[in-house]
Amino acid sequence: MTLSRETYRQLEDIVGAENVSDDPVVLDAYAFEVLADLVRPEQSHFMPRPVAVIMPRTTEEVQTIVRLCNRHRIKVKPLSTGWYHFAAPQSDAPTLQLDMRRMDRILEIDEKNLIAVIEPYVIAAQLQAETLKLGLNINITGAGASCSVLASSCAYAGQGPMAYWMGGNAENLLALEWVTPAGEIVRTGSLGSGDGWFCGEGPGPSVRGICRGTIGSRGGMGVYTKCAVKLTHWPGPTEWKVRGTVPAYRLPIHEHFRVYTLAVPSWDAWADLYYQIYDNELGYVFHRQFNLAGADLAPAFWLMYNDHTKTLNDVEWMAQEPGMRELTEEMRISFQFIMAGRSVRDIELQDRILDAILAEVGGWKVKRFAEEDMAEFTNMYLQRLGHKHINYVWAGGYIGSWMQVGTPDWVKGYIPIASAGLERDAASGLLVQCGGDAMMGSGSGFPGGGGTGLEQFVSYDPNDRESTKAAVRHMEDAVRDATSYGFPPGKEALYLELSKTDEQVWASLAAANQPAVFEFQRKIKEALDPNNIGDRLYSTLPADRTIPADKTPATDRR
Amino acid sequence: MALADYRADAMRCTRCSYCKWIPFDLVKSSRFAKGCPSVDHNNFHNYSGGGRLVTYLSLLDGRSEVTDRVVDIAFKCQLCGNCDVACKVCRYDMEVLAALREFRFWLAEQGRVPPRYQAVIEGFRRRGTMLGAPEADRGSWAQGAGVKDLSREKAELVFHPGCRHSLGGGLESVARTSLDILRKAGLDVGLLDNGQCCGGRVYHMGYREEFARTAARVLGAWEDAGVKTVVTPCADCYHTFKHLYAREGSRVETIHMVEFVDRLVREGRLEFTTPVPLKVTYHDPCHLGRQGEPFVPWEGAEKKIFGQAVVYDPPRPRYNGAQGVYEPPRDVLRAIPGIELVEMERIREAAWCCGAGGGVREAYPEFNAWTAAERVEEAKSTGADALVSACPWCEQNFSEALRDGRAPVRVFDVLELVRQAL
Repeated sequence: MTLSRETYRQLEDIVGAENVSDDPVVLDAYAFEVLADLVRPEQSHFMPRPVAVIMPRTTEEVQTIVRLCNRHRIKVKPLSTGWYHFAAPQSDAPTLQLDMRRMDRILEIDEKNLIAVIEPYVIAAQLQAETLKLGLNINITGAGASCSVLASSCAYAGQGPMAYWMGGNAENLLALEWVTPAGEIVRTGSLGSGDGWFCGEGPGPSVRGICRGTIGSRGGMGVYTKCAVKLTHWPGPTEWKVRGTVPAYRLPIHEHFRVYTLAVPSWDAWADLYYQIYDNELGYVFHRQFNLAGADLAPAFWLMYNDHTKTLNDVEWMAQEPGMRELTEEMRISFQFIMAGRSVRDIELQDRILDAILAEVGGWKVKRFAEEDMAEFTNMYLQRLGHKHINYVWAGGYIGSWMQVGTPDWVKGYIPIASAGLERDAASGLLVQCGGDAMMGSGSGFPGGGGTGLEQFVSYDPNDRESTKAAVRHMEDAVRDATSYGFPPGKEALYLELSKTDEQVWASLAAANQPAVFEFQRKIKEALDPNNIGDRLYSTLPADRTIPADKTPATDRR
Repeated sequence: MALADYRADAMRCTRCSYCKWIPFDLVKSSRFAKGCPSVDHNNFHNYSGGGRLVTYLSLLDGRSEVTDRVVDIAFKCQLCGNCDVACKVCRYDMEVLAALREFRFWLAEQGRVPPRYQAVIEGFRRRGTMLGAPEADRGSWAQGAGVKDLSREKAELVFHPGCRHSLGGGLESVARTSLDILRKAGLDVGLLDNGQCCGGRVYHMGYREEFARTAARVLGAWEDAGVKTVVTPCADCYHTFKHLYAREGSRVETIHMVEFVDRLVREGRLEFTTPVPLKVTYHDPCHLGRQGEPFVPWEGAEKKIFGQAVVYDPPRPRYNGAQGVYEPPRDVLRAIPGIELVEMERIREAAWCCGAGGGVREAYPEFNAWTAAERVEEAKSTGADALVSACPWCEQNFSEALRDGRAPVRVFDVLELVRQAL
């Protein structure tokens, strides 16, 4: 499918010829996406090709583009930083890819009212660097410093190491400027009533839930062009004196902070410690991060990473060293924990409380990771999240399974199942064998604690078709494992959804715990996207779908 | 190597876009966070490190064809190496920069290069230099210097000024200062092929064979002259000798002139006596900084451990900017009385390119000038009086960017300040 010359000329007229292309090689750079190989025929790394790529500079240009697409019935797919297969066209229907990288300004940082107003191509590292100068910080989502703050806030669901302190993606979204699929510009909350960016819910229109949908629209429901996000107090230095040698940069630990890797002897103790941390209101960054390398290999991997003369080859022998084996056992159930105080006395008190609750649950601070080099590295890693791409370090391919969010006592129930599942599936040698437990995740996705989750890191080689197929099989296995033990499907089901037919997706939505949500979303889509130029990532159930009686909303049953 | 050998790098690219930015831990502001001049100027994803991998993957897989746009994508890039450093913050199985070079070789072998290359490569083939200077000008800077001519005599140390320092353009003083310092240090130094090009720039433009012929000729001449060490004040030549010639089998030690001066200062054999009252900021040339790492011979193959983890047998050397030449030029500047060194945000392995590399100066003058202007803006933001580098290509690019005189920033080579301080 190609665009008519007339339509192409119209696009050129909107943004200038240099900002639009339908050259096949340019389009392929947008069709290529990570995880495509898990959902596309023949494990292709390419999603469907867009008919053109266009780079708007203003909201008005976006609106004109969207209206043009409505006239020609061309689907619209925006991307900001564009990581994951969700960002590419989702079907072979003609789709115009909007690359938002020319909208890259921080429009305002309102220090007094703790608000930053941004465009789509502002990444977390940029915004954090600017807010730190003012003694403020932002929530960096689990996707890390490289990702668009606007896309994370408006279009995706997710937790991160700082969510425990600052809240998750959607919670940090304030007012928003949104070009709907029909080409209307909607300014939400206080912005809609001319009162600025401070509130997403009013006194203007409160449509956060409508435009985001259940888990974020993932580019399926129009284009977000500006948004405001919350800022929070940063009790550390306004200028970071980063040191260390690439790649293991280090952030010196300010006197108001403590940086630890905490470990416990059992998953019961793990859950107890999480509850104690919540109850005692400790912690600023709270995340099980380093275990993504796998419980059998993580200590060796991270100590290798901190020595720039070493490579992955060295992990093989390092993991076998007696001292490293002891450290591996010591850290088998561990997580990273950064506390921040308002004063030296405050942080000293927090440290004493932490010692007390560790004694109560039988936990400990891992000494090697509390030494200056590893503590500063941990501090840098988790305060900026500039190394998220290490997810792919073993072989270039990673897929997350599990990650159901709930209370620690509930989450600990699926850990043995997830571990056994990975161990079983990696036995083929087609997945990386790093210990059955390669689970990582936020201490809590909600501010102050309450809901945690662990994602199983499954590493495969995307350059090896058999390994890729094994990753797909693992994802399907994980869904079956979860279901058979009474857990809902995890993250893998979201990823796999892109390989399913519409019928399969609808069947899955109909069987969800609250399928009525997707009926409501269909009604929203019909109202806001009459020409269906968005894609199915804004999930909907057709009117003629049968929802099982036990899944119908309570109000209907009455 | 062939382009197909880099197919795995493309298949394992995850489109994370780290290649577009400096390493995130080093980001100090929104303004100076970007690391790739090419994608920052040209915008489409293809113009990033990862985007170029996908571009050649699309070509190799027959999904698209070589067009003028493909040539533009492959060559409108300084090969500055930021993408490589940023990618390797998290990866051990990617060689982005090597793949981008191979992409150019592949296209050049098909005769698909930017049209402006034609005159440059013809000049190189005829005159042995990238520059259009008349033959008569070659080596005029060294007249009367009284050093050995290694085409007839022998010496263990050859001084190679580089074509940019020896063929006019007002940069000859760096060559003269260097030679003075070497001679005053009592070294047995000679000159060879004065004004000839090392071949590095044609290599980066995609002409692998021309480079190989040049390297073979120079290495043969060095061997005949008994050369064991080459000293150069040019970062491009430094990288060429230290890395590219080493790959061709050279065992000649390579020293950049700032390393040599730093060594003399440390040993107390060179003292700066004249204050130079100047607030300066130092620009790391790509070929002295992140690409200035020692070459390690390697021949091996991929293997897997832990089921699917990708490693190499034997372990593959890792070039990620960790061992670049960063401190010697800074130490020299700090040793000069009166100089105050202030840093830009993007330094060392995260330095923004001057714009001149990778054939961009030759083929894309507007992009070249834009890239240099970006760096000048960053230098101005420090409040420095002067932007100092250790590469004549950087110096010339910055001088041109400041030619309108509107910015109160002067441009120097480190060695020009050394001369003032002696």
